[in-house]
Formats: sequence, structure tokens, C-alpha cells
Amino acid sequence: MAYRNLQHTEIEKLKKQGCTAETWESVRVTDPFDPERIQHVRFFGNISLGIFNEHVTVKERGTQQTGIYHSTLRECTVGDNALIQNVQNLYRYDIQHHAVLDNIRSMSVTGLTSFGNGVEIEVLNEGGGRELPIYNHLSAQIAYMLVHFRYHDSLTKKLLSLIETYCESVKSDRGTVGSHVKITDAGIIRNVEIGPGTEISGADLLEEGTLAGSPEDPVRIGQSVIAKHFIVQSGSHISDGVLLDKCFVGQGVRLGKQFSAEGSAFFANSEGYHGEAVSLFAGPYTVTHHKSTLLIAGMFSFYNAGSGTNQSNHMYKLGPIHQGILERGAKTGSLSYMLWPCTVGAFSVVTGKHTTNFEAADFPFSYITAEDGKSQLTPAMNLFTVGTRRDSEKWPARDRRKDSRKYDRIHFDLFNPRTIGNVLKGMEILEELSEKSRREQEYVSYKGLVIKRLLLRSGLKYYRIAVAIYIGEILLKLAESLAPGQTLKEKLAILPGREPEPWFDLAGMLVSKSRLESCINAIVQSSTNSVDDVLNAVNEAADAYNDDSLLWWAGQIRKQFNVEPKDLSDEQTRDIIENWKSNVLKLNNMILKDAEKEFDPGSHMGYGLDGDEDIRNKDFTAVRGTYDDNKFVKGLVKENSEIEQRADNVLKRLKLQ
Amino acid sequence: MEKHEVQEKVKKVVANVLKLDPDEVVDDANFIFDLGADSMQSLELVAAFEEEFDIEMDEDKALAIQTVSDAVTFIASYL
Repeated sequence: MAYRNLQHTEIEKLKKQGCTAETWESVRVTDPFDPERIQHVRFFGNISLGIFNEHVTVKERGTQQTGIYHSTLRECTVGDNALIQNVQNLYRYDIQHHAVLDNIRSMSVTGLTSFGNGVEIEVLNEGGGRELPIYNHLSAQIAYMLVHFRYHDSLTKKLLSLIETYCESVKSDRGTVGSHVKITDAGIIRNVEIGPGTEISGADLLEEGTLAGSPEDPVRIGQSVIAKHFIVQSGSHISDGVLLDKCFVGQGVRLGKQFSAEGSAFFANSEGYHGEAVSLFAGPYTVTHHKSTLLIAGMFSFYNAGSGTNQSNHMYKLGPIHQGILERGAKTGSLSYMLWPCTVGAFSVVTGKHTTNFEAADFPFSYITAEDGKSQLTPAMNLFTVGTRRDSEKWPARDRRKDSRKYDRIHFDLFNPRTIGNVLKGMEILEELSEKSRREQEYVSYKGLVIKRLLLRSGLKYYRIAVAIYIGEILLKLAESLAPGQTLKEKLAILPGREPEPWFDLAGMLVSKSRLESCINAIVQSSTNSVDDVLNAVNEAADAYNDDSLLWWAGQIRKQFNVEPKDLSDEQTRDIIENWKSNVLKLNNMILKDAEKEFDPGSHMGYGLDGDEDIRNKDFTAVRGTYDDNKFVKGLVKENSEIEQRADNVLKRLKLQ
Repeated sequence: MEKHEVQEKVKKVVANVLKLDPDEVVDDANFIFDLGADSMQSLELVAAFEEEFDIEMDEDKALAIQTVSDAVTFIASYL
């Protein structure tokens, strides 16, 4: 941009309009320059101004001429058609074109800063040891590696070194306000980098941070927010008195209603309202909506916190050093309490007060209840509850990230190698416990849990349903995707039945052990030179999910049937498909039965106040509808009607019928 | 097994699992509304019936049973 000095007549006009300058020679402008657009402004130090010849419309302020009015600017550049008015102090900022700054107490960069990049937060272990350096391009997966693979020296060193280099690269003693940013009615903004399109309205204090919005998915900061030492990625909204200190906020996150958080990281699509978070690793879709809910020193994903959910991470001994892991899809009921350390299996539900430490990661889809001071596990119980199915359907639909660049990689499959792998582990444990137990025993114990002996075998039965559905679903999909003239045998020939390897859930991303090792090797090697190279390595691993999960499935076929997948006999193939059909129908019917409970007479309590039974029923139907008309129920009934047809079609296609 | 034997055994199992006085377990009692069984106890009842009668029941049909007499009829169909 070509700047020039002000002409004498322009200076005189500006003076008449209430403007002053420390030295007018330091104020440079761009042609065409219209002095009318600068009124009652005090300039200090070097100032560069763009062209002001447009109007801008601001919510609750109508349409106004761009320019600078009633403000104090020190060492600033202002881009074309920005509007700056009633800003008491604007210091060392570069304001890009079409930005609006209106009614701000102070916006300044006070010295060399990295704008929140490099701030270390003590996630998971409040006492330290797993410090997570936050930065603009952090993803849930990289955070997972940094937090959980501390024992991997070369990986940790490499990641920390690349992050340090990145943080150095963003250090500056000047801040940027991106194009089309709108900041209105704000208090103090100090050492904050503000990305394009960001909207800040009524924030009290923002200090040492980055609002890394993108034009396609801006960040929004609302009323009375106080945030210090933070990074906020695109598409996230923080409003209504939220307090943040040392926090990372990923993409598409919603924080509001006086939520407060310290030393915590919230990844894609998480939500926090009312409650409190400390040292929280909130993986994608971690949701806490209620007051009196404290999430502390835990790792969660696809999680929903009931009101009053609470955990303790120390016992007044060596400090707050304990941690808890809730695998994806876990939930905690109202007033549930856990004493860390604990692990909870995927898609499990925890209710009640637990004062023992337990390890339940190998039992996905379970209920963990508190009974007479003991933590009781009911294995597989949550497999056939209506909530699990609803949750698994809603998450993909609720991915609110609009930015074309998505940092967190998320795999949504309910049945996947990680979860089914844990189901299989759980089955082995149940089998062993069942064999060792005596008939007169009411309970058996396992890693801090008690399990009713009678439920050992039933848990096994229900887990078998999940495995049969998983195995069959993939075979059906393979059969349905056969090219014209291709046989299933040919399609399966490329899938060797290797020993199935363990899988990891890297905060939403599912990855096989060997793929993860390759990813780590790629990161550690010298050709990975930047934090974006790390993201690329992770993306490559994430993209291999479909292929790798097919290999895992092939390994399970080999293990179960003792043949290579391509050598499955017609009878075995038919059995897999028939098993799939009967088990999907069975599971769906159990889920439907669970849904039916939401409409049974017990659910009518509190309806039709002061009326008779007829009024009660009518009121219930008016508010809740009927079982048959329920959208979820209808969907599942429809699915049931199509299952038989789907199985028959595949059997016909494979000439097995 | 005679139906009355099945009936007696079913009532014994129900009283045992739900920790009830056996007299409370009447034929038309609904497991949930009358006997207060929760979802987990329903699972336990199915498992207890299977063990008591040495049968393996269809899971979805077994969990759909609502009353003591329905349970007797359903179990009898496996014997």
C-alpha cells in the first residue's frame, strides 16, 4: 500500500475536527484520503491509514461511514474501510480492511508475545507431568500424543521442539485484527491476535490469546467473557460470563452461561455451560450443561455429563495427581461421583457415588452403579438402550465445524475395531470369571468392581450380539459393493487374515497399533519439519481407517472361522449373514422395547395434573406423542422391515439362496 | 415339568432376585410396576430363570415379558 504524508491543508482540517498528533509527520495516509473520515482522534507514534470511502453496517448501530472517530491510536495501521470509534486506547495493532472496532476501553500489545501459543496447560494430571503446550494448529490427536505418550522420548521431544519453533514464529510485539472483524462494547483486550471475521461483543477481558477464526467459520466472543492465556479455533462461540484461564478451545465449541475452566482443552464440538472444568481433556463432543458439575483431571469424548457430576483427583496425600479415563460415548448420571483413578469402558453409563477405584475399560456398553458402597458392573447393559443408538446417530449430524480445514479427525462408527476389540476382551474376562465362580456366589470381583455372578453369562450373550452384527455388517457391505462379475472370494482375496492387532482411540480418531507406530515414526523422522507436517502425518493415518479396519475384520474372520476370509465356505458365509440378520433384529427389538418404556404408564407420572386417567393420557400424548409416531421408533421399525430384504438381496447376489 | 412346578420355581426366583416376600409375587404381578424391577434386575431375572431351568432364552423376547404369568408360559415353552 502506498502511503504518503499528510498535506498542510489536511492537517489543518484534522485539527479543526478535534484531532491531535504527537508528530503529524508520523501519520501517513493513502489516496484518495478524505479528512472528513477522521474526527476527534489522537495519534501517537507511527500511524498508517488506508482509504475510507465506504459505509459499514453494524448490528444495533445501523449503517455508518467508515473511518476513525473519537479514538486514541498509538503505533497502529488501519486498513481500508475499517471503522474505529470510541476506542479509548488502541496500541500496536494492525487493523485489516473492513474491521469494526466500536466502544472499546483498551486494545493493546504491551510487548513481545506469542498470543497464547506455547502456554502449557496441565491437563489430565493437575499435579503436572503431562503438560500440553497449546498453539493455533493443535488437534485432539496431537494433544493425545503429547499427553499420553510422555514415555516416548523421541516423539515428545520432536513434538515439543516443532511446537516451540511454531510459537517462536508467531511471536510479535504487534497484534493483528483480521479483516471483517467486529469488536463492540469490549473492556480490555491485551496481547490478543484476532483472526478474520471474529465477532467480539461485550467481552470484559481478553488477555494473552489467539482467536483463530476463519472467514468461513468465525469465532464469536460474547458478553462478560473473561479469558486469559488461551487459543480459540474457528467456529467456536464463547459467551455469557465464561471464565477461562489457560485453556484451549478447538473448532465448533460452545462455552457459555458462566461456565468456568482452568488448564483445560476442549476439542471439536464440545459444549460447556454453567459448570466447571479443571485439567480436563475434553475430546470431541464432550458435553457438560449443568451447574454443580465439575469435570476434573479426566479424559472424555462423545460424553454427556449429568447434573452434579463430580470427581476427586486427590486424597490429600501427594496432591492432585490422579486421573480418570472415560472412553468414547460414556455418560455420567446426575450426582455421580468418581474417585480417580478409574477407567470406564466406551458407551458405558456411570451412576451413583463411587468411592473405590475401578478399571472397567474392557467392558464397553456397561452400566456401573453404586450399590451398598460397591461399584457394580452390569456388562453389556447399555448395548441395547435407546440412548446409545440415538447418541451414535446424532454425533455425525451435529458436527458444526464449517472451516474447510478441520484439525480433529473423528471416526464415528459405533462398532469399530477398538470397541469390538474391547468387547472381545471383556468376553474373555467374563468367560474366565464365570468358569471360576461358584453357583452359591452372588457376586464376583474384578479390578475394583463387583459383578453379579448371574450376569456373567448374560453379559457374554449380549456381547455376542454386538460381535455378530459387526462381523456380518462388514461382510454385507463388501458383498453389496462387488463390481459386476466380481465374486466375494475375489474381493476377500486382498484381505489377509492376520492376527488382529490392538486399536487406539486417539480422542476421536481410531487407529491400529501399527498405523499409529508408522505415524509416530513419520513424525519423529527428520523430514517432518513443522506442526503442519505433523498434522499431515496424523491425517494420513486417519485416512487409512477404512482399509485398516477391514484388515482387522479379516483377522477376526481368520480367528473365528480358522480360514482366510477368501476361503470362507458358502455355509459359513450364509451363517454370518443369517446371524447378522437375527442379531440386528434382536438388538433393534431390545432397543425398541427400551424406547417403549418411555411411553409406558410409569412415564405418565406428573402429566394431566388435577385430571383423571383419561386427561393424564391425553396430556401425555399431546406433549410426548405416541410410541408409534415417535421419529426414532419409526426409523428403527423401518430399519427392521428392511433388514430381512437386505440379507436376502445379498444372499441372492452371492447365489447362496 | 408340570406348570405348577414352573410357577413355583418362577416365583421363588423372582422373590430371590428382587428381594421380595414370596407372597408378594402373584401371578398377574407386573415386574416393573408391581414388583419394582429396574432394567438391571430384568436382566438378572432372565439370567436367573435360565440358570434355574437350565435353558437359554431368546434375549429380546425374554426381556419383553411383563408379568409373572407371562414368564411362566414363556419358560414352559422351552421345557
